[in-house]
Amino acid sequence: MSAPRGVDLRVRIGPMALANPVLTASGTFGYGDEYAHVVDVAGLGAVITKTVTLEPRAGNPPRRIAETAGGMLNSIGLENVGLAAFRRDKLPRLRRLDATIVASVGGETPAELERLVAALGRERGIAGFEINFSCPNVARGGARYWAAPRRLERTLARLRPLTRAALIAKLSPDVTSIADLARACEQGGADAVTAVNTFVGMAVDLEQRGSRLGRATGGLSGPAIKPLALARCHEAARAIRIPVIGSGGIMNARDALEFIAVGATAVQVGTASFIHPRAAQDVLEGLREALEARGVRRLLSWRGALSGGPSRPELIPRERRRA
Amino acid sequence: MPVAALSARWTQVRARVVGQDDRGANHHWLEIDVPRGFGAPAPGQFVQLLIDPTGSAALLPRPMSVAACRRTGPGLRLGFLYVPVGTGTRALAALGAGASLEVLGPLGHGFPLDQPGTPVLVAGGRGVAPLLFAADALGQAGRRCEFLFGARRRDQLVALAAARAALRRLGGRMHLSTDDGSAGRRGHVVALLEQVAARLEPPLVVHACGPHAMLAAVARWSLARGVPAHLAMESIMACGTGVCRGCPLPRSARARAAYRRAPGPSLFGNEEWAMCCTEGPVFEAAELDWERVE
Repeated sequence: MSAPRGVDLRVRIGPMALANPVLTASGTFGYGDEYAHVVDVAGLGAVITKTVTLEPRAGNPPRRIAETAGGMLNSIGLENVGLAAFRRDKLPRLRRLDATIVASVGGETPAELERLVAALGRERGIAGFEINFSCPNVARGGARYWAAPRRLERTLARLRPLTRAALIAKLSPDVTSIADLARACEQGGADAVTAVNTFVGMAVDLEQRGSRLGRATGGLSGPAIKPLALARCHEAARAIRIPVIGSGGIMNARDALEFIAVGATAVQVGTASFIHPRAAQDVLEGLREALEARGVRRLLSWRGALSGGPSRPELIPRERRRA
Repeated sequence: MPVAALSARWTQVRARVVGQDDRGANHHWLEIDVPRGFGAPAPGQFVQLLIDPTGSAALLPRPMSVAACRRTGPGLRLGFLYVPVGTGTRALAALGAGASLEVLGPLGHGFPLDQPGTPVLVAGGRGVAPLLFAADALGQAGRRCEFLFGARRRDQLVALAAARAALRRLGGRMHLSTDDGSAGRRGHVVALLEQVAARLEPPLVVHACGPHAMLAAVARWSLARGVPAHLAMESIMACGTGVCRGCPLPRSARARAAYRRAPGPSLFGNEEWAMCCTEGPVFEAAELDWERVE
């Protein structure tokens, strides 16, 4: 890849050399081609698909969405077409996009994940896998099940030999120590960690005396979670040497820069795409302009650049700033 | 069952408020101008209205059915009928003439007004909005329609004057019902439908919009009599375009079987659930499981 003129936005996530650090968050962008008429998907760092499971899933009963102050709760429940249909119907279309595709996969057990990665691991057109260890809306195999460092480490160690594509572990923020989980992922052989998935939340309908969702709880996303997500992202970035992909309430380029400043190597745009389908592309264009305006030539020099101030320790130790 | 073709591609544009006025019973009529390039919506289709964060505490856009559409020079003037009940619609009600907002659309697919047979439009309360647009479109196509309008009370027959004026121009007939008998026939609009339908020469095609309980009643009536009915549904939505999967409606057993044989595109729902935004918001009565519709 030749160095582009202007700001150098290139980042590396394991074996993936990405043109820039802006990715779409799983579950907010379809399988990848649905928004191709409004977003230049080939220009994004990568497109992360909706989570694919072994069998098709119909998803949770309504209601699935509840808006809250500065955020939204969702209870989608991993609705997806399943492995066979993904491979047969979606993958050929994704290959034609000329975009970097990361397949999000989810399973209820380590064995299910093994079958998924074994089936897709050598498929042409998949540059990486994001393992969804953090869905808050399923009865089995969700965030709680995977919030166990040894289980994560062993599972990733079993997935690692199945593919040469990047392995990214997407973590839940609702854990005692995201640093412990991130370290377990690194130990298990992950190429990167995504911090974070949605936060478990509730919304109450006082008139109906029930949840505003079909289930008691959902996953909270949007600007409301950005400060929380930044802190988790920072905690993970301090703990590991592999890249952290920041996610949680990123609505614009400034938000993206904040995540990179606290140690993220790349970022995901999620809920913002529901509001502005072009959001990921806007974040990318804004990022380039913001760095140019600050005289920054290379994105990676901004990474972890947040100073703790003269009397405080560096937020990211200097030796860990480069992925 | 034919799977509806996806409508023309949507776009997201900046629009300008022309004005708003009060239509009684706390209903507002909003008009906005959208620029050239925005696809012309069909009756029954909806758009997503998004107010800038400085003017609204709402994060998500609000799906809203189009109640009127006409060309204005280069662009379109769209009309909406709504009640300010929540964060988003209250912020919308505060927008004055000249205010700017974003519009994404047109979305979903509308009423199949070209089906042969006498169109019978059945409105419940503020569900009248897309049917005002439908009556207008039928009139422009030179087709006469029957317009049934039901509400709890006389004052909730909102935008009645507009509907009457449209029908006068078109030569259609208006039939009213209220639960308390304060206007038109006393009772439910489905009883009115039964009465009106009995006097009409078949074939009939029903197009309806209103509360889901009313639409379920219209659907059961139509299924029992073999009269095709097309019902405009509502749902809470995030994106409105099919990617968030937030607006499922339960498919009927027959529709599930049809889906198994011929699955739709990925922005549609799945075997169990139809997506209101991409497959609707207008559904044929036999497509949904009315026992499970909320």
